[in-house]
Amino acid sequence: MSGLFASLSIALSSLSVSQQEMATTSNNVANANTTGYSREVADVAAGDPITVGSNSYGTGVVLQKIESLRDPILEIQLNQETQQQSQLNTSLGQLQQLQTQFASSTSGIGADISSFFNSLQQLSPDPSNLELRQSVLTAAGKLATDFNTTANNLQTQRSNLDQNVVQSVSQVNTLTAQIASIDQQISNLQNANQNPGTLVDTQTNLIRQLSGLVDVAVIPTDHGITLATSNGTTLVSGSQSFALTTQVGSDGVQHIFSGSQDITNTLTGGSLAGLIQIRDQEIPSLSSSLDQLAAGLATNLNNANAQGFDLEVPPVLGGNIFATPPAGGVGAAATLTVTMTDPSLIAASSDGTVGSNGNLANLSAVADTPLANGQTPIDSYSSIVFQVGNDTSNTSADADSSNLILQQLQDQRGSISGVSLDEEASNLIQYQNAYQAAAHVVSTVNLLLLDAVNLGMDAAEE
Amino acid sequence: MRVNPNPMPDLLAALNQSQLETQQASMEIATGRSVNEPSDNPAAAAQLVENNDEATFNSGYLQSISAVQGQLSTADSTLSSVTTALQQALSLGVEAGDGTLSDSDRAAIAVQLQGIQSQLVSLANTTYQGNYVFAGAKTNAAPFVVDATAPDGSGVSYVGNTDVNEVSIGSGYKLAVNVPGSQLFLAAGNSVFLAINNLIQAVQTNTGIGAAVNSVSAASSYLSAQTVFYGNATDQTQSETSYLNAAQLQISQQQNTLGGVDMAATANNLAQAQTDTQATLAAIGKMSQNNLFDYLT
Repeated sequence: MSGLFASLSIALSSLSVSQQEMATTSNNVANANTTGYSREVADVAAGDPITVGSNSYGTGVVLQKIESLRDPILEIQLNQETQQQSQLNTSLGQLQQLQTQFASSTSGIGADISSFFNSLQQLSPDPSNLELRQSVLTAAGKLATDFNTTANNLQTQRSNLDQNVVQSVSQVNTLTAQIASIDQQISNLQNANQNPGTLVDTQTNLIRQLSGLVDVAVIPTDHGITLATSNGTTLVSGSQSFALTTQVGSDGVQHIFSGSQDITNTLTGGSLAGLIQIRDQEIPSLSSSLDQLAAGLATNLNNANAQGFDLEVPPVLGGNIFATPPAGGVGAAATLTVTMTDPSLIAASSDGTVGSNGNLANLSAVADTPLANGQTPIDSYSSIVFQVGNDTSNTSADADSSNLILQQLQDQRGSISGVSLDEEASNLIQYQNAYQAAAHVVSTVNLLLLDAVNLGMDAAEE
Repeated sequence: MRVNPNPMPDLLAALNQSQLETQQASMEIATGRSVNEPSDNPAAAAQLVENNDEATFNSGYLQSISAVQGQLSTADSTLSSVTTALQQALSLGVEAGDGTLSDSDRAAIAVQLQGIQSQLVSLANTTYQGNYVFAGAKTNAAPFVVDATAPDGSGVSYVGNTDVNEVSIGSGYKLAVNVPGSQLFLAAGNSVFLAINNLIQAVQTNTGIGAAVNSVSAASSYLSAQTVFYGNATDQTQSETSYLNAAQLQISQQQNTLGGVDMAATANNLAQAQTDTQATLAAIGKMSQNNLFDYLT
């Protein structure tokens, strides 16, 4: 049956729930700026009714649970887009650094090639002039130095990338260990039927950070979550994490291993994939183009010089201008050296007489002779400029659109999980009113009980 | 629908974007170039490399032309001195052919002719910047040597060679810049030195002066015809110079089209980017600094 005590009990349940609702609001307000925090709402329900005779009476309010509001699908999309965006931004940063090597059209290798052939042109009206001959060697030296500098800068950037790979792998390991340990705590709470809301937020946040480094997919299982890369390498399984290792491979750069399996080339997202792409594809491709250009120029010019006669007495067939490039051209740009030091050794003459400029035509013709790639030297260089510029510009456009998508996804996440102070304030007013009302009920019931207990006596007046 | 209660990241991204645009526009205005990095316009950046190559070659050709022109004009003026000397020899020969002259008068003329002969040898050994211009490619030694026993009887032997040097004065445009001395002064049938030597002997012996005068005249005409080569070559360098100057202009225009900055448009972009920045900053500054909590008492 229902009575005053029942009313008191209902009012008390309301007081208790209101307090917990206010605590939830307070926690939301406190975490309004916490990264990855999902707002919580108190899920309340009416108490089970009691039926007396033909009437049923309510039994107050019950707090079912404190629920964190988040959209699991959106979180997955956010992870995926973070992987994409992080890879693109990492590549872009490296490409922007790379392209500074090729930024000027009036200095650097391209301009050096033009200047070198121009110095041969200037020698042709006065082929025995030693000053003009010296300027040919000076131009050749400048060309060689700029090839060396550019090739070395590419190599340095590659070594730095290699360091970054090792550091990123160690970050991956730190994050996976943290994720696994939190997974254990989440399981414990869930087993005890408690709300793991904020722990899940923390874990989600760590997975987001991990997505910045490597392509991982989250697979929910009965025993917590499993994190695996897109090639199937498991990084976390429930409360256990599996560390990746690095080891220098036969190509001289760090490879990433999961156990004994080399997964270097299977990573498709996150900054690691970006680092590896620049380290293993972009830079080697640029280096190889530079090597082919340096080797082709050196070989063709040496061959052309060998067809004419120098200024020695008696004149002999010309020797090498540049050191013979390594076989296959590998490393040719970094090691390009002018070995000719005496300007009189330039073989300008086609017949051994000092005034002949016949062989200068052969040397100059190297400018128009296609190299192994079918392009003339200056065209080869201009292709390199185009390649690096185009790759940078495309990556930049991709990164821009990925940034936009990520921003939109984050807006969506905010619209579901973000804490709105206005909303919390309005909730607070509501909970406050409910609490005040319940408190009134308590005080009213109290007065009624007093009246009932002191029935017929006017004790207060005595 | 519930909106994202924290628009700050979006606003900051917008601010970042407009600041990036400001930076880009300022950079373009400061450098005067729209292609400061290959990624600004990859195709234009690649073109600019080719363009710089063309510009370098173009100015290189112009520089070669001025070097060649010095050489050509030295040869040309030397040959006109040779023609003048030959005219002088001709009048002396005609004078010596006058039957009324005494032996001593003719001897005096012969001495004058010998003077002209030495003058001719010295003219044929003219140098330009230390190089003998009529030596073919053996430019380091005087090509004409006085030699009484020269087999052709000219009294001069040629130690140069018959090389003709070519210099590129344009893309694929090669100009021959010399005529070998043997072709100018010792051409079979029109040998200048043989004609002079024969004239001296004819005057000295008073025999066949008329025929000797005729062959000097023929040699002189031949030489004048050869001189045309240098005039032509000079003309070619001049017309190529004006072509190259026009091309240079075109190259720099192309350079400007590819990598130059449209100042008006860029200044406009800059102003716009700055306005955007201001507006975004204002939006961030004014963005509801109040929320419902401020009204709870």
